Amino acid sequence: MKVIQIKCPRCQQPIYSKVKDRAFYCNHCRTMHIRNGGQEVIDFDIGEFNVNAPADRLYMPFWRLFSAFSINQSKVAGGTIHKLGRMIKGEANGGNLFIYVPAWETEVNEFKHWSVGLTENQPMYSLRSDFNNVERWPTTMSKEEAMQLADFVIVTMEAERPGVLQYLDYGLQVHDARLVYLPFVRGPSGLAPGF
Amino acid sequence: MSISVGLNCPACGGAIQISEGENVLNCNYCGSLLWAEGDAGVMTVAFRNAQGRDSVLRATEEWWRKGFKARDLRTKGKLLECYPIYLPFWSTTTRVAGWICGYEERHHTDRNGNTRTERIPKEEMVLHDYRYTNIACDPGDLGVKFLRNVSGEASFADFESIPTFESTTSKDDMVEMSKQNALSDARSDANVPHITFEKVTAIPKQISQIFYPVWVVRYSYGERMYMATVDGVTGKVLSGRAPGDALYQSLAMTGGTSVSGLIAAGSIAFGIGSGEGTIAIIGLVVGAAVLGFTYRFFRHGSEIIEGDFDDKRSSDLGKELRKGLKFNVGGFRI
Repeated sequence: MKVIQIKCPRCQQPIYSKVKDRAFYCNHCRTMHIRNGGQEVIDFDIGEFNVNAPADRLYMPFWRLFSAFSINQSKVAGGTIHKLGRMIKGEANGGNLFIYVPAWETEVNEFKHWSVGLTENQPMYSLRSDFNNVERWPTTMSKEEAMQLADFVIVTMEAERPGVLQYLDYGLQVHDARLVYLPFVRGPSGLAPGF
Repeated sequence: MSISVGLNCPACGGAIQISEGENVLNCNYCGSLLWAEGDAGVMTVAFRNAQGRDSVLRATEEWWRKGFKARDLRTKGKLLECYPIYLPFWSTTTRVAGWICGYEERHHTDRNGNTRTERIPKEEMVLHDYRYTNIACDPGDLGVKFLRNVSGEASFADFESIPTFESTTSKDDMVEMSKQNALSDARSDANVPHITFEKVTAIPKQISQIFYPVWVVRYSYGERMYMATVDGVTGKVLSGRAPGDALYQSLAMTGGTSVSGLIAAGSIAFGIGSGEGTIAIIGLVVGAAVLGFTYRFFRHGSEIIEGDFDDKRSSDLGKELRKGLKFNVGGFRI
């Protein structure tokens, strides 16, 4: 077993951090890369804060999965199934969707809250090119794991509806995953969107 | 549950600690972000041997006194050899995420004897990390197949001086086995009797190879040879074979047959007297079960076997590790 110092694959500068972050960001050339067997330079988005956002700001990482899905058949005992159907626009039984998967270490309820909430109500924000010295929360989930959790998010959206899900026949294909840093603010009741 | 490995920062030489399964670490001295790479992508650690010959022999003699082993084993047992070896194990963490939906049926019977079946819909979320260990070589007759302890200090300091078994099973096979076991355990934990819909994904999180010190103790009793293995970290006996005691076998046979006969005869007499045939049948079944248990002890009581032996008949110490250790703390926070 060997231990190596992580360096930026573009400019070869060492990367320093006080936290264990699986998305390695170079402050010199603003390159981000991940490692899983080899090195992979990744594209990423940084959201702009709302001008009225409070001062205690931070960026939370999400894997945004560009996905195509279709519903073939569903059955719910004592309720109705319509969350997925509501999101399909322009087509009868299928469409495209951004699925948001929290990329930081979180507990189950928080994971469900943000993944379902942001997938249902897609965030609207402007982009910026750097973090502007705002704290960046560490990424702990790999891209591959996020892509495998897409099904979980989709079924959770339906299972959390009133009634008891009994059957769901659907197709889901994840085409692309992109790391997105969304602006958040710390409040008395926890994290709140800052976009 | 963690294993910490002491290493040095390649940038400043400062001491760093890495936990099993983690690739990313920070140097507390220079702030460098570091990446740990195992051979062929697998992190390998070796536990430090914390036991000596004397403590191992003491643990074995203590083990002789427990259970239904021969009462004179402590005086007639003769220790022949005692030596440590390193055994290789795979250790995996597999995350299971998904939903299992279906129903359970409950039967209600009214005063007129009419039975009504109620179908209760169920939807169960599954989101857990399961940890498995499995030996990575042929354990032969050692009776050790799973790790019972996964905490301790890791060090390769003893690696040169203690004989080491090579790994002979593949990483890919272990990953696949862990996925199948995790899916099976998740279904069991969800507890949905009749499944109508299931979408569950098993995601391999980490795999590492652990070399674990195990002491082998060989001893004789009468003219027969026996053995035991002792955990080189905790000092507890892991497995072993020991002579049984003829007195315990005789007492069990005498007591067991008497008790089973009394149960069967009593229930038949009571059943006939009260006109309740069901009581007689239940009594007969219970009596037969006691008799079966008695025969089993009598038949196999001449040798007491503990550990992960294929022909193991008595204790089942490793059962809890065959089923994955589940991390209940929210699934995402380990």
